[in-house]
Amino acid sequence: MAPTILPEFFLLLGTDLFLLLSLLTCLLDSKFPKALPYIFQIAAVMGFGQLLISKEFLVIFGEYMRFWYCFFYLLVALINIVALNVYLATAQKMWIIAKAWAGTVTFPSVMISVFFISNYGYVSSAEFPFLLLQVGLVLAAIMIGVSAALFLNPDLLPRFRRKKEVNQWK
Amino acid sequence: MEIRKILSSKSMKFVTLLLTAMLIASASAAVYYSLNMTSTITTAANDVYFIPGADATDAGTSIFNNNKSATLVSLKAYANMTTSYDDPIRVRNNNGATAFNVRLKPVSLSGNAQYFSFINFTLQTSTKISLNYTSNGVSWTTPSTSGWTTVNANTSYAIVVQTKASATATSGQIATIEIAIDVEQ
Repeated sequence: MAPTILPEFFLLLGTDLFLLLSLLTCLLDSKFPKALPYIFQIAAVMGFGQLLISKEFLVIFGEYMRFWYCFFYLLVALINIVALNVYLATAQKMWIIAKAWAGTVTFPSVMISVFFISNYGYVSSAEFPFLLLQVGLVLAAIMIGVSAALFLNPDLLPRFRRKKEVNQWK
Repeated sequence: MEIRKILSSKSMKFVTLLLTAMLIASASAAVYYSLNMTSTITTAANDVYFIPGADATDAGTSIFNNNKSATLVSLKAYANMTTSYDDPIRVRNNNGATAFNVRLKPVSLSGNAQYFSFINFTLQTSTKISLNYTSNGVSWTTPSTSGWTTVNANTSYAIVVQTKASATATSGQIATIEIAIDVEQ
């Protein structure tokens, strides 16, 4: 039988994502509040603490409960990644960094999480309300399609914007 | 003043965060790894065990080790004559609800083959399983492990032992056979 991943893997993944956020917000410290890298480090330490608690109470908690609190922690990490992306795009109006963030941080993190969660669901025969992998693959296909179109025809986006402006004047 | 400036610099901050991040990441990975290696083992009483049968006295059956081991020391094999012990020992499944699969497995055999024809052990389940040790007068043929059979809940089954010594056997020759019962749970 193939070895299965434990629910605590999502805690580990969430912790690593928080650490990544901590380092990235430190590198871009002029764009974010000064305390943010430290807050993310504290969140990562909390994930580590949760991992230790999970280890101690492995039998008492049961797999169902362990999965949901680990999944929730990972979800919080992902929400933070998306929130920072939105913050860069809207509050800071830094489109290039926001796009780079989306391509290098948000999208890979979400894809990796979707992959592992769907894999866990498949191996553990757990049923999720959404077909996560399918949704993830469709999003990935859309992203690749849009990226390829923009790469092959860089004028596409400015043209689209100009068309929108003309329509507004009409 | 200079030291303070260095400590508050961005690179210093980044290096500090990087080091703590590495520490947290490796500690988390180590905990996860140890978690992966954790297994919980609970002790339990065995449901399947030996009990003496109706012919236990004739067969010299004694049961020990909390009914998990038994010896049958008074079995006889007569020259050119088949002797059958119909109920020297029983295998009992004491579980109130669950049936288990069991099989007979040969462990060891000693004794001079020229004095014996066969010795066999048959578990009287609905699908009978047996271990038949045969001799051609020169050497023993040890049987292979039997197939699995089911012992139903709250039921006991006799192990029938049949023996036969060779026509030329003299009295006082001994064969010692050790068999095991595997229980699939």
